[in-house]
Amino acid sequence: MTTLTLSKALNEGLRKALEDDPKVLIMGEDVGKLGGVFRVTDGLQKDFGEARLIDTPLAESGIIGTAIGLALRGYRPVCEIQFDGFVFPAVDQIVSQLAKMRYRSLGKLSLPVVIRIPCGGGIGAVEHHSESPEAVFAHTAGLRVVACADAADAFTMIRQAIRSDDPVIFFEPKRRYWDKGEVDTAADLASALPMDRARVVLEGTDVTLLTYGPLVRTSLEAALAAREDGPGNGRSIEVVDLRSLSPLDTETIFASVRRTGRCVVAHEAPVYAGLGAEIAARVTEACFYHLEAPVLRVGGFATPYPPSRLEEHYLPDLDRILDAVDRTFGY
Amino acid sequence: MTVEPGGATTAAPASQPSQPTQLTQQAADPSSELIQLLTPEGERIDHPDYPVDLTAADIRDLYRDLVLVRRIDTEAIALQRQGELGIWASLLGQEAAQIGSGRALSPQDMVFPTYREHGVAWCRGIDPVKLLELYRGVSHGGWAPEEHKFHLYTIVIGAQTLHATGYAMGIQRDGAVGLDDEGREGGGGGGEAVIVYFGDGATSQGDVNESFVWASVFNAPVVFFCQNNQWAISEPLEKQSRIPLYQRARGFGFPGLRVDGNDVLACYAVTKKALAAAREGQGPTLIEAFTYRMGAHTTTDDPTRYRLAAELEMWKLKDPIERVRVYLARTGQADPDFFAAIDEEAKKVGAGVREACRTMPDPPPLAIFDNVYTQPNAILQAERDQYAAYLDTFEAGEGAPR
Amino acid sequence: MTELKQFRLPDVGEGLTEAEIVTWHVKPGDLVEDGQVIVDIEAAKGVVELPSPWDGVVTRLLAEEGQTVDVGAPIIAIQVGAAAGEPAASGSAQADNAERAVVTPPAPADQSASGEPPQRQAVLVGYGVKASATTRRARKVTAGRTETAEVPTLQDTPAEPGTGTARALAKPPVRKLAKDLGISLAELTGSGPDGSITRDDVHRAASDTTARSAEIVNGNGAAAATSPAAPSRGGETRIPVRGVRKHMAAAMVASAFTAPHVTEFLQVDVTETMAALRRVRDLPEFSGLRVSPLLFVARALVVAAGRHPLINSSWDEAAQEIVVKGYVNLGIAVASDRGLLVPNVKDAGRLSLPELARGLQDLAETARSGKATPADLSGGTITITNVGVFGVDGGTPILTPGEAAILAFGQVRDVPWVVDGQLAVRAACTLSLSFDHRVVDGELGSAVLRDVGAMLSDPVRMLAWS
Repeated sequence: MTTLTLSKALNEGLRKALEDDPKVLIMGEDVGKLGGVFRVTDGLQKDFGEARLIDTPLAESGIIGTAIGLALRGYRPVCEIQFDGFVFPAVDQIVSQLAKMRYRSLGKLSLPVVIRIPCGGGIGAVEHHSESPEAVFAHTAGLRVVACADAADAFTMIRQAIRSDDPVIFFEPKRRYWDKGEVDTAADLASALPMDRARVVLEGTDVTLLTYGPLVRTSLEAALAAREDGPGNGRSIEVVDLRSLSPLDTETIFASVRRTGRCVVAHEAPVYAGLGAEIAARVTEACFYHLEAPVLRVGGFATPYPPSRLEEHYLPDLDRILDAVDRTFGY
Repeated sequence: MTVEPGGATTAAPASQPSQPTQLTQQAADPSSELIQLLTPEGERIDHPDYPVDLTAADIRDLYRDLVLVRRIDTEAIALQRQGELGIWASLLGQEAAQIGSGRALSPQDMVFPTYREHGVAWCRGIDPVKLLELYRGVSHGGWAPEEHKFHLYTIVIGAQTLHATGYAMGIQRDGAVGLDDEGREGGGGGGEAVIVYFGDGATSQGDVNESFVWASVFNAPVVFFCQNNQWAISEPLEKQSRIPLYQRARGFGFPGLRVDGNDVLACYAVTKKALAAAREGQGPTLIEAFTYRMGAHTTTDDPTRYRLAAELEMWKLKDPIERVRVYLARTGQADPDFFAAIDEEAKKVGAGVREACRTMPDPPPLAIFDNVYTQPNAILQAERDQYAAYLDTFEAGEGAPR
Repeated sequence: MTELKQFRLPDVGEGLTEAEIVTWHVKPGDLVEDGQVIVDIEAAKGVVELPSPWDGVVTRLLAEEGQTVDVGAPIIAIQVGAAAGEPAASGSAQADNAERAVVTPPAPADQSASGEPPQRQAVLVGYGVKASATTRRARKVTAGRTETAEVPTLQDTPAEPGTGTARALAKPPVRKLAKDLGISLAELTGSGPDGSITRDDVHRAASDTTARSAEIVNGNGAAAATSPAAPSRGGETRIPVRGVRKHMAAAMVASAFTAPHVTEFLQVDVTETMAALRRVRDLPEFSGLRVSPLLFVARALVVAAGRHPLINSSWDEAAQEIVVKGYVNLGIAVASDRGLLVPNVKDAGRLSLPELARGLQDLAETARSGKATPADLSGGTITITNVGVFGVDGGTPILTPGEAAILAFGQVRDVPWVVDGQLAVRAACTLSLSFDHRVVDGELGSAVLRDVGAMLSDPVRMLAWS
């Protein structure tokens, strides 16, 4: 076991992937010489060369489009979009080409492209650097969408994503890049939890709290705070890290909600038309007779991401999550 | 007034609302040469940079390609008029650009088309029925790209230029650039190049310009073949560029040239040279094939609403097939029996296309759910099962939405 | 084999609905080939050539040059597969005559009658918009029930045994109902899908244990009410609210605070009824049967319900409907060992007076002895309660849940009364009718009360109104 930050765990995972398969390439702005603006690809170009660690022109659509061409040629490109808010110029290549190529070709072509996107807020940034666009991609058939929440999962999931023959949008919680965690760097990937499964990270009996990415840590902190006896009485919250946003691991989700009878979804993305809505609809349909209360969602407001001085009001924090938990008990 | 290559002018009738094609810089700019090896009248011209190494048999084969490809195209238009196809994008007038460049390819080169390159598809051995599938709505693309070294049609304008550039970067990484015919790694003859097709309108797209950036900066082995057919639906060339398109390449730092797109020999020679340069590691070339879209953008378009009949008539005089026929006949490289045999073959090909189209079955409803992912997806599988059960609740024969 | 076919004017893709025939390139008798241009038509902005879709021989041109034709109308008839000169396909007059017998009349413009797909207006990128169906497709019917697709994976399944606490399954409105009625879901067995608890399950659990203290006796009986032990001098006694009392309380609350109750009173001169009672008692049809004021009040209420059906209904909150019952299941409040019960006589409106007397008597006996069945206790549509046994005149009775009216009648006693302008002593009784004001307005309630009063003051009216 080693203690690694989340960004270092990604770095180790990428290194292993580059070692395991000569077809793996990493490409993006500033990923080579600089090692990435978050140092996630630090030291890799030195060891694997410029042909495999490509500093690309400043053109997001170009990054994804040429990655598609490389994938058609048999390579496994891992693209980096520098910040979540900059993925939008590439959305056409992602949605119209990357997602559809297999379907279009009746299964003859597959594009094993990974697109890494640092996402989410809480870093005090200027505009376009704190977005959570996962719903756009979850809504696009043909893509797999995942979000890692801690160092251990980062190390494992990035390698699983690279090995997947489907295109994967890989969300990394940028404000957690410096969070440390225990990582078994020698563990066999074959025995790891599959990339399309959710994980119950904290067991509980009273309410199921579904979340992913940067809010997993917040949710765990909220659950621990809720255990303490206080004016509201202790509550036992079951925290589930969804990990896979498309497809959703409905088996794990439904089993949990059927045990607890209550469900709260938390994400940074705006609540309106966010992934929580899809989850709530499915849970309501499948667990109707088990529900003591409607599924509640906690997330960003229906506004653009605010200036950084206000972001603490925008981002769901421990109190907002526990407020939602309290509300589910009001039915 | 319009100025055509070669200096001919036509007057624009006052009553027409639309602008005729203009090439005002054409005559003044000495570098704006139009490479031509066969005039509209069927006369051979020599060009110092482009020797023609084709035999009489080769040229007769090119003639056959041109005639058959036009026949397939014409059949498809008729089929659309009979409701057998949803639409068809006709290549009428552009046969020489496609056959010439298509026949210049080596077997190991990779092609990235738009959605109108039926002539190049023909050269790559794709059964025309496969093209009909797309326009009939039976599939989004029915052939195996690697089998034919011809990627699926891309409908998003210009998107394929990035795919082609990335593919070329992959060729570089495979070490398949800069080899002579004998020295290719792993066997096979010669290095590999990529050719990507796009139109005049596409040159305005961001992706196309990004592909020029990447191809030049990475020196990728890709030939950018632009069929400038003068029109992007109803918008003429001057809406896309102030300067001749081939000159755009200079701004990105790689060679650009303009060829008579209705001259199959010139298109062949120019493309062959550009591909060789790419294969040898000299990087990209932009070829502007100067041609004309004789038909509509697709079968539902009505060009009479935005362009002059006179313009169409003028381009009829530059027909790509006619000049080859005249050349072969006049030089004695083909006799009347040959032309008759080609016409006969065209009839058969046409009948075959009609038959194949009309008997093409629709895919089964549940095929909607196939080929989305490489691995099983529980959510999608559930939807498939649900829909299958839903269909089963209807009386026999009522299985499809009306 | 040759076949006569008609080629219909296609939509050549400019959204045209009609076109003019400009020039025919063929005439009857001509051999045509698949793909051969046969006619020029004038479309929106120019002439379009139409190719023949078949090989064959032209038998007849169905439109003339200069004629405007609708898209979908046949323009030419071709004997498909024929060779030139075949007698059956010649362009002579005989062919015309033969064809007249064979050619089907032109299809209506929308094509649907002929079974062809609806015409679509083609667009730049495809076939165009297809008219959608305006009727449903026929679904299979199995065992008299139209099939709907099962929802395999989203279907809620109960927790597997042994996977921890098995939760009671109930949909949200049922949970709320149970909560309001004080029913614990965990103690019920559900009769709904996958063992879920239904609204009826909850109601049944609530009415099984409704309790109120009362007793039916004949008109002079005394009430036997259970009362708690007196508290010890100067202190307090606490009686746990459990079981029967708890559920009765909940039912009362549910009824009282859900339905807006209005009570109206009418004091009635029942002298004639008491006289009639005595005579009826002596009739052989009534030997062995208890004949009390209750019988006459019951009959009068049943008749009044027949005259004013809306009094015999219930308010369905979920469906937002008033359910008017076409039958009167007359509930009678009965004191029993278990507490107050309200069994009902089924379809009392169809019973003769002796049958009604029998029904009332049997009900009272089985209920008092604790043998009332769930069927006896459910399905009531209107209720009578005798408060006279308590020695009082009237009250404000609370509706039986699910009903819209309840009639209480008090003791019969002699009172001063004005008869024909003179003071007299008459037997009188007060009727108290409570009703659900959501269903019954003042006018209706009053009409019903008036009618009952009228029948009790003159029983002959009962005969006229039955």
